[in-house]
Amino acid sequence: MSTRPSRSASIPIPPSSTARSLENVIPMSFSPNPPARQRPASTVNAAASFSPVRVAPPMARSVSASYSSALNAPPRGRPAGLAQLNTAPVFEPRIIRATTSPTPSRDPACNAPYSPSTSPVRPRRLSAGVRSQSAVSATNLGHRASTSTIHATHTTTQGFPRPAYLEYSSMRDMLHTEPAPSTLTPVTRPAPYAVSSQDSRSSVSPAPPSIPYPYFRRELSPVGDSDDESIATPPPPQPAIGAVTVLSTNTVLMLPTRWSEQDRMPSLSVSLDGRELTFTGPSCMGDRESSAARANHPIPPACGIYYYEVEILHKCPKGPISIGFSAPDVRLSRLPGWERNSWGYHADDGWAFPGHKEGSAYGPTFDTGDVIGCGIDFSQNRVFYTKNGSFLGLVFENVGKNTEIYPCIGMRQTNESIRANFGSAPFRFAIEEHVRARRDTVWGDIMATRVDWSVLGLGPRKTEEKRESETPKLAEKGDINEDDESKTPLRKLVLAYLAHHGYARTARAFQKQCTERSHAAAGKEPVQTKIEPEDDVAMAVDSEDTRAAGGSSSAADSVGTGAWLDYESEYGLDRDLNTRLSITNAIIRGDMDTAMSLIREHHPSVLEREQGLILFRLRCRKFVELVLEAGEALRKVKEVEREAAAHPKEPSVGSKPLDGVGEGIVGEMDGVGAMDVDDPSPEARTVSSATSPMVPTTAGTVLPGSSSAAPTPSRDAHAALAAAAKAALHTALSYGQTLEADYKSDMRPGVRAHLRRTFGVVAYDDPIATGGEVGETAGQASRDALAAEVNQAILESQGRPAHPALETLYRQTSACVTRLGLLGVGAAAFADVRKEFLED
Amino acid sequence: MPVQQKAKIYQEEWERRLHDVQVSKEDLNRLVMDYLVIEGYKTAAEEFSKEAGMESPVDFDSIENRMNIREALQRGDVGEAITRVNDLNPEILDTNPSLYFRLQQQKLIEYIRQGKIAEALQFAQEELAPRGEESPEFLSELERTMALLAFESSPMMPASVSELLSPAQRMKTAAEVNAAILESFSQGKEAKLVGLLRLLCWGEAMLEERADLPKLDLSDGTFGERMSG
Repeated sequence: MSTRPSRSASIPIPPSSTARSLENVIPMSFSPNPPARQRPASTVNAAASFSPVRVAPPMARSVSASYSSALNAPPRGRPAGLAQLNTAPVFEPRIIRATTSPTPSRDPACNAPYSPSTSPVRPRRLSAGVRSQSAVSATNLGHRASTSTIHATHTTTQGFPRPAYLEYSSMRDMLHTEPAPSTLTPVTRPAPYAVSSQDSRSSVSPAPPSIPYPYFRRELSPVGDSDDESIATPPPPQPAIGAVTVLSTNTVLMLPTRWSEQDRMPSLSVSLDGRELTFTGPSCMGDRESSAARANHPIPPACGIYYYEVEILHKCPKGPISIGFSAPDVRLSRLPGWERNSWGYHADDGWAFPGHKEGSAYGPTFDTGDVIGCGIDFSQNRVFYTKNGSFLGLVFENVGKNTEIYPCIGMRQTNESIRANFGSAPFRFAIEEHVRARRDTVWGDIMATRVDWSVLGLGPRKTEEKRESETPKLAEKGDINEDDESKTPLRKLVLAYLAHHGYARTARAFQKQCTERSHAAAGKEPVQTKIEPEDDVAMAVDSEDTRAAGGSSSAADSVGTGAWLDYESEYGLDRDLNTRLSITNAIIRGDMDTAMSLIREHHPSVLEREQGLILFRLRCRKFVELVLEAGEALRKVKEVEREAAAHPKEPSVGSKPLDGVGEGIVGEMDGVGAMDVDDPSPEARTVSSATSPMVPTTAGTVLPGSSSAAPTPSRDAHAALAAAAKAALHTALSYGQTLEADYKSDMRPGVRAHLRRTFGVVAYDDPIATGGEVGETAGQASRDALAAEVNQAILESQGRPAHPALETLYRQTSACVTRLGLLGVGAAAFADVRKEFLED
Repeated sequence: MPVQQKAKIYQEEWERRLHDVQVSKEDLNRLVMDYLVIEGYKTAAEEFSKEAGMESPVDFDSIENRMNIREALQRGDVGEAITRVNDLNPEILDTNPSLYFRLQQQKLIEYIRQGKIAEALQFAQEELAPRGEESPEFLSELERTMALLAFESSPMMPASVSELLSPAQRMKTAAEVNAAILESFSQGKEAKLVGLLRLLCWGEAMLEERADLPKLDLSDGTFGERMSG
């Protein structure tokens, strides 16, 4: 990312953004009915669904990482990367549209925003700053001009950075002040009160609405997902590799940024920048008539707290200016607060009106020059106001619980005018502190939740009968630290995690310490004769119980003794873990022969899983390893040759045969061109291999330092190296031929694709350094991924979950919180799973 | 107010959401390391830092100190524990009267457990009774502890009293001291893993009011039987 040309970083917003935002803004604002707003969304979805998607799931991560860092202003200056992606799903669909979409308004220069930005922090703000500087290319200057023209005539608002107080929302990355680049269709209707937007979208989409994403199946990379016939549901019509990502949509929640040009009474005029409202008509007579206006977007509850300020520019003596919120269907001919589903604070008497004409005294009156702040706290569905920076207290109940709400202003007198600040300028009130305090409170409340182990499927599932038999005190013990009922499941969770990933020594040390503690806690009970025999019973019962019921144990377990004894057998730590570890380690080193023979010996069924897919993958990897070895051997030949050339003492003796060999090999290998051996890859390690034993040994022992010092041995070495290289290459190629022959009748598309990718590696002299898909296929990451897959496959073949429960726990929690936020539960915005649990 | 319709979240869609959550093995390793450190599994934490190639967030010796205190309490050696806590940081007990009271109470319990009735009485009168004046909470705890003497090991002893003699009471005291020490080192007083479980319980309960979702069965990390449909 850092190597990107600086230009791409300097213009993250396509100059066409204005035209594009008009496209989006106008239909949205003119037709406040949901279907119209959703139409573009489904179109995009459909388009994306039918486009072939190239990127496979494991690689998708990096793509989305760079993409989102360009798009979403990352929170609080964290470095770009995975760290900020907790709420950002995978983005492929947009990328596809970015390249295939015939969007007319796009200019080649507009591609910049789709490149990863070099700035990890706040690309929007950065762009604003850069635009005003002179160092912009000619095209950009042109666009800048047209941008401002459009801006002036159509009074669109440029976006501004997301207000700082919103950084406290765990869902901040979904909150936008302007539509993201054109391929993004903003989800202006998050429909938080029904299903989430993604759901409604996929239900109207003509594409198959749901392709299963088998989280609980093994996450096989390309091959696995695409051709797995054992998936029960019918295969999707498009390449299934992309299916996963096609349906992953990113939710964009638009923030109010200006007064709506459409959603207002005609007698209120909106200023060019969208912030000012002026009453231009004749003053309203009687209570029946007023003029109100709403902001351009509803407030997403995912904000947690949303706040805007209004400066009273001019108020007539009798003018009851009302500031507050209203639902989209509330009549604009009435002041906010007088109609159901609207709420308002009135200037003339300082009263607050909760949706009907019976308001109550709330705060001071306000007049020309005052700045009134207006906030909605979705964590309690209450409103608060501030006057000139002072907090006036909470008011109203159940605000925004069952309806979307917009910032809303009402006036009645000619020439009255106000100016709103939706966050583009600093606020008078210290809203950040307010939000932080509220966040801390909400988070504290959440963290006081009792863990109900039985609900989580951990710990004893108590029947009513058993519960009675417990002492009341035991049942209400709250603190988890002291509560042994909680210790056992926690330990199991951690131990299972360690075992899953093969941290064998840790797992054993942990297990030992746990056992010691359990004994210390239970066994050292002196004198009190009653307890000890009971414990023995508990232990016995427990062991049986655990084995039979997989962890649910009797209520007697509350002393926390028994379940431990079973860890050894339950996870079979020593025997099983060691084998699994040897296998994965062999794959990680590239020693496929050892890996395969160990698997054959200990877990033969794994090789047959999914019609031999795992075996196929292992064999492909072995081929890649052979090719890498051959490449490495050849590089050594070249190196010696180069050194020989650099030493004129030994001019021509060895060079001819060497050149011959080298060219021969090159020709055989790719038939394309000469090799570039200047760049020995650090990844190309010497690989121990049973099939070509002579390559590493001869090369390794003879070569270092000998060639230049001793000419004659070096010539021998040349010859030996050359022979070895040739042999390595032949081994690789003949293995490849066998591979091709063995799988030529396997028409599964995933197998075909993987085979093609595998053979593609041959075409490069240094595949790892080549980068791209080839580099990925050849590189260490691919070994690691294969090792992880084999690990999962082994675990699954033993009937264990493909993911450690701990990982699923995290994912489940995160997904729950996000969903809650989208459903309008404001407190969820203050539960930042990643920040609280994964960052220091 | 209209009754909200409960949305149904299908497992397929939900699994996709789970898959979309960004979390790496390194993230989870940190979570596990935090647990090992906070809960005081020193050797496991050391091994883990080697095997997973991670920096430990703290000095491993500090874990050991904490664990020694905890073990002293678990075997009933309250005097040793108090000395060690003060060696570590005298402010911990100075600034935390209720923790100090808890330790004194534990000491009284240990006297009674050992049948040292005379010492118990003397200790109660000299050390604990004056503190009982300080707050009603201390007083009622003191009374509850003294009831141990009244019942001795009679089977009539109510559970609320007899549980003071249980290992759980020692563990409870040890955990409170542990938390106080952690706090004095400005570490979290509870493993993040526990917080994560709290959040999950909160989240699933909140979500359940609004939608039917596949709920997690942590015993095997699947949705198992709990997810019907």
